[in-house]
Amino acid sequence: MIEFRDVSVTYPTGTKGLDGVSLTIPEGEFVVIVGLSGAGKSTLVRSINGLVPITGGSLQVGETDLSGIRRRSLRTLRSDIGMIFQGFNLVTRTSVMNNVLTGRLHSTSSLRSMLGWYSRADKEIAFDALERVGILEKAWVRASQLSGGQQQRVAIARALAQQPRVMLADEPVASLDPPTANAVMRDLQRINRELGITTVVNLHFLDLARRYGDRIIGMRAGKVVFDGTGAQADDAVFERIYGRSLTAEDVAAPGAPARAGTDAGAGTDAGAGADASTETGTGTRDGEPLDDAASTSPGSVQAAGTPRVASTPTDPAATP
Amino acid sequence: MTAPTQAHDGATGAITRAPRKPAPTAFTVIGLAAVLLITLWAGAGIDFTLAPLIHDLTRGEEVLRQFVPNWSFLGRDAVITASLTTLYMAIISSVIGCAVAMVVALLASKVSAPNAVVYQVAKAVMSAVRSLPDVAYGLLFVAFVGTGALGGMAALIMFNIGVAAKLTAESIDAVDPGPIEAVEAAGGNRIQRAFTAIIPQVAPNYFSYCFYVFELNLRASLVIGVVGGGGIGQTIMTELARFNYDNISAVIVLFIVVVFVLDRVSRAIRRRLT
Repeated sequence: MIEFRDVSVTYPTGTKGLDGVSLTIPEGEFVVIVGLSGAGKSTLVRSINGLVPITGGSLQVGETDLSGIRRRSLRTLRSDIGMIFQGFNLVTRTSVMNNVLTGRLHSTSSLRSMLGWYSRADKEIAFDALERVGILEKAWVRASQLSGGQQQRVAIARALAQQPRVMLADEPVASLDPPTANAVMRDLQRINRELGITTVVNLHFLDLARRYGDRIIGMRAGKVVFDGTGAQADDAVFERIYGRSLTAEDVAAPGAPARAGTDAGAGTDAGAGADASTETGTGTRDGEPLDDAASTSPGSVQAAGTPRVASTPTDPAATP
Repeated sequence: MTAPTQAHDGATGAITRAPRKPAPTAFTVIGLAAVLLITLWAGAGIDFTLAPLIHDLTRGEEVLRQFVPNWSFLGRDAVITASLTTLYMAIISSVIGCAVAMVVALLASKVSAPNAVVYQVAKAVMSAVRSLPDVAYGLLFVAFVGTGALGGMAALIMFNIGVAAKLTAESIDAVDPGPIEAVEAAGGNRIQRAFTAIIPQVAPNYFSYCFYVFELNLRASLVIGVVGGGGIGQTIMTELARFNYDNISAVIVLFIVVVFVLDRVSRAIRRRLT
């Protein structure tokens, strides 16, 4: 169980990441957090494993209290929490297996990990994890040779190799094309169902959130503005999360992107109409959510349209 | 014929329409004048002249005649031993120097240093080590441990740490922070972070620096030998004292060939690494 009690995070720069968040996430739940860039989604997820230290309130993860936690106990806590990232965060010049074995570091001595000498049992766990995400045959391939979707699966296997009780995912599909994004989300969902691992996922896309989340938490300016099921996340909720109502632009055809949001998306505010053509690095990725959404309901179009503009450009090399 | 002419006319039109290139700024003009003046002033200060090159052109003839290489000198046991000593010294110094350099580099990068104090100290140590040139270390260690290979190697090792640690630390600074974050999130400690996330990323650059350092060592071994650090440099010193210029020139030619070949090999390997 993860329990936030009036948690706030203020960064050294003075930016407020979280502002009085109170939440309880029970064991085994699949929670999706949605919101604009800069709404505090990432801060929320990263506070759970202490990558971002909380500056107020109290945060309890299992039996561990995160306020003023010592380095050693933080490492113990982190060994129980798997995490996957938007940019996959693999060491691309080494093998898939070596990357997955990173998940076994917490039970490996420093000396053994210096020599890359993992125990037979740890290797077995790593192979199991790779099998679970369906890329066992890639075990000895260099990670850089895999596609984006495969790399994210390796990252999931790495997190699984930790045999965690909690799985965190910070924008796991933002660098992937829609079919791959859905495949990765399905993997996460399956793992959640099969192993009962509590899963907390950050997403830009409300339609993906609705499709996969048992529970959706909407965030805006560091505060929780919605907490409920996907079915409850209607247009009014959308407005609360994204700070405005749906406009005609949101459902317009590709090539006429919606206006950017308020928060961190402000940088793309001006000339939003030209975004699709100017953001060349992410152009293909940006274009695809619309193609995908066009085949689904208008609601999905709206959900996919807004975050697309609000999303921060990602490393083009990371896109498949 | 018509088409190219038209295209040419078009191009000319474009040039006349384009704004004129601005004249050099006063800063550029004054700066260039200053450089010129300082150079002339420095030259006048030491009565710089190239005249001896022409007047005394033939004076070196006598010396040069004595420099006809005595190839048989290279076959002597002592010379072969000294050459091999130089090679071994370069290898051992590179291995030890680079190993130590990796540790220093890990401490001297903000990415991998355990805290700000260690980082600052390591940085200071690194610049202190780098402030002395190889000859200075040679003189220092020969004074400490006496003439011979040990002093020479100690000198080369210090010199190598200075070079390799700085270059490696800079590579570590530029490493992708993603994998480091992943190792931290997986509960890895600092050593694990260094060995699983940082070193694999800098490995190609690091090995390239190691080969570079090896090249430097071969070259430096000559100077190190001159100050008593053992190896082929010492042989050169001895022969120089005996005015055996023919022997020296044979060694020098050998040296040039060896350095050239190793340089090529090492460069080929380095290219493959990065």
